[in-house]
Amino acid sequence: MSAKAGGFVLTSSPHIFSKTSNAKIMVTVMAALLPAVVMSVAYYGIRVVFLYVLSVTVAMATEAVTKIFRRQDWRSILDGSAALTGVLLVMTLPPAISPLLVALASGFAIFIGKEVFGGLGANIFNPALVGRAFLSAAYPVAMTRFSAPRPLFAFLGRSADTVSQATPLAAARFEGVTTPWMDLFLGQVGGSIGETSAVALIIGGVVLMWLKIVNWRLVGSYLGTVFLLAGIAHLMGPNQYPTALFHLFSGGLMLAAFFMITDMVTSPVTNLGVIILGIGAGLIVVLIRLFGAFPEGVMYSILLMNAATPIINRYTDTRPFGAVRQEGRRV
Amino acid sequence: MAHLTFKKGVHPPSNKSFTEHRSIERIPVPETLLVPLSQHLGVPANPVVQKGDHVAVGDLLGEAPRLISARIHSPAAGVVKRIVDQPLPGGNLAQYVEITVDREATERHTFPGNDVDPASVSREQLLEIIRAAGVVGMGGATFPTDVKFSPTKDKSLDVLVVNGAECEPYLTCDHRVMVEETEALMRGCRALHNAYRFEAIYIAIEANKPDAIKAFEDLIAVYSDLPIKVVSLSTKYPQGAEKMLVRTVTGRVIPTGKLPLDVGAVVCNVQTLFAIYEAYFFRKPVIERVLTVSGAGIDRPKNIRALVGTPLELLVEHCGGITGPVNKVVAGGPMTGTSLPTLDYSVSKGSSGFLFLTNADVETENPCIRCSRCVSVCPMNLMPLKLAAYSRAGRYSELKRLAVNSCFECGSCSFVCPAKINIVAYVRHAKKYIRLHNARENKR
Ligand code: SF4
Ligand code: SF4
Repeated sequence: MSAKAGGFVLTSSPHIFSKTSNAKIMVTVMAALLPAVVMSVAYYGIRVVFLYVLSVTVAMATEAVTKIFRRQDWRSILDGSAALTGVLLVMTLPPAISPLLVALASGFAIFIGKEVFGGLGANIFNPALVGRAFLSAAYPVAMTRFSAPRPLFAFLGRSADTVSQATPLAAARFEGVTTPWMDLFLGQVGGSIGETSAVALIIGGVVLMWLKIVNWRLVGSYLGTVFLLAGIAHLMGPNQYPTALFHLFSGGLMLAAFFMITDMVTSPVTNLGVIILGIGAGLIVVLIRLFGAFPEGVMYSILLMNAATPIINRYTDTRPFGAVRQEGRRV
Repeated sequence: MAHLTFKKGVHPPSNKSFTEHRSIERIPVPETLLVPLSQHLGVPANPVVQKGDHVAVGDLLGEAPRLISARIHSPAAGVVKRIVDQPLPGGNLAQYVEITVDREATERHTFPGNDVDPASVSREQLLEIIRAAGVVGMGGATFPTDVKFSPTKDKSLDVLVVNGAECEPYLTCDHRVMVEETEALMRGCRALHNAYRFEAIYIAIEANKPDAIKAFEDLIAVYSDLPIKVVSLSTKYPQGAEKMLVRTVTGRVIPTGKLPLDVGAVVCNVQTLFAIYEAYFFRKPVIERVLTVSGAGIDRPKNIRALVGTPLELLVEHCGGITGPVNKVVAGGPMTGTSLPTLDYSVSKGSSGFLFLTNADVETENPCIRCSRCVSVCPMNLMPLKLAAYSRAGRYSELKRLAVNSCFECGSCSFVCPAKINIVAYVRHAKKYIRLHNARENKR
């Protein structure tokens, strides 16, 4: 009768699992970044491909070396999270950035941004943004030199050299020049490698929201807050402050809203939590952009709110089904 | 009809097509039965037979020493060969009464119907019938049914929910009972209704069993004396969990640590109802049940009516044997069932099925990436990732704050976790620790 009596695996229930995995999620996010990556290559040439490859390689190598030193399994690099950090990092850097700095930032992002905390899942700050913040602090000049993208949409009758050196945000902030939001939407403007084409980012972001890898409430509360506050500012001082749409589509906001602030590890785990995060980060973006010393506030908005995430997580636990309040406390 | 449902939950592949349209088969009476004296939640029954005793079908083997316990009856005629200690699924040790069966006498035995007039049976009498027959929750929880139907003085009991959700993948035994024994179940409802005068009786069935829904709807007109409604539920796990079911069907929320009784409801699994019916109209104790033998590793998956105590090996044999690379055997459904190390187990009142899984995933745990999927599926609205993390860190006060004891181990969180963290295992550990810790504190 039985081919085999005994010798069966003993485990706790459940005995079936969904087909998802950490690696699958990371790969899906990378796939969703593809439209924006392709656009970045189209705008800034084959050199960018080299930067992506370099950054990903350094990121994975750094993680492998750290793991080996700590006598842990270096094969964690295959879970795709180091590679994802590598890609995201490049997307936040100016097109003219030197490969050396990219390598430096990538190593820093993984080592300081992730491994020092204990690796995947234990880090507090978005590693890619840690890498970018490092370059902003150490090499501020290299980080503010923006070259113009190649005029891909020249046939549309728009030429890109109106904003050849300054980013639209810097132009708006320091020179009072605003860029039409349609140019921003398509990405025909100066800016970081991967953040210029809002439409490409939105396509990937919508896919991730549909797959529930990205919580739409987070994207919505972040963008919504920026839109609302920037809109109010514009209404109060139309000559002084650019429109809400300009703010929405300029700088790194789209990239940040879909791919940075939504990093699972560094964002809260409840719906209430992510909404608080989104509103807080949106507020910081607008404050920095309108009143701060820098033209762009996206990076700081996320890093600052990352720091707040453990606290948000602490106070936004879901209320258990059937929980009764007793003496003002949960049971 | 719009399908009702609860918040959150998961959609595991149903795998019911193996057996959902297979009629219930009766397996030949085995030569030996191994009847556990602990087939229910609570205190095990005390043996009232000895080695060498002759028993007839339905004779008492074990008496319930306390309220939260249940009687055990002999499923066959024969001789008590011995009383042995053997593990139950899950590892706890229990006494088993081993019976050498007189197959002929067993097959000859019938339980004659008695013409009870439901109107003449009081609530107390009904509860006594249920208790005498050793009826326990046959959906798997095996809580003594008479206790479940006994509201305290100050509470009223106005809603009966017949649980035909059968939300666990693979299992189809309840489904088959609903299709094949519809009339009996309706009569069971009538018996209960006459004692309780419910305001409403809901027959709650997941939408993936349209034939069962139709079978009941066709009979509603015949039983117009009963306030019965057939409720079609969305196919979602764990729809059949008591708290989810009562919330879905009646809108009532059972508070933490309370029972359906506390909100005036009682939930009764369809096979429990069938057992009540048999006890009521035939004075037949629970000595058999319908269960599903399924999985890719069994030759001919089936729904089987088996005597309590039937050795698992016999079920396997009856289903054509194990084929394929079976690496996991599960007693119960795949979401909450217990894995078995060997086939040395037997059918009990709570056995809803045995699954033979091939190439079952044995996952290595990866770091939690805080994807929040576990949070978004937990039907109890808990924070599973924190339960796992704090259990690992031994932070029991945090676990109490997070209501770890509200977790009923449905497995939804572990099912969706991309890091393959077995959150349920961590929760079990924490609950056990807290229980033992509290017991020790109480002693002091
Ligand atoms: S599902 Fe798993 S990885 Fe995701 S938050 Fe929960 S425990 Fe962490
Ligand atoms: S925490 Fe408990 S109740 Fe919630 S999904 Fe996990 S097993 Fe189910």
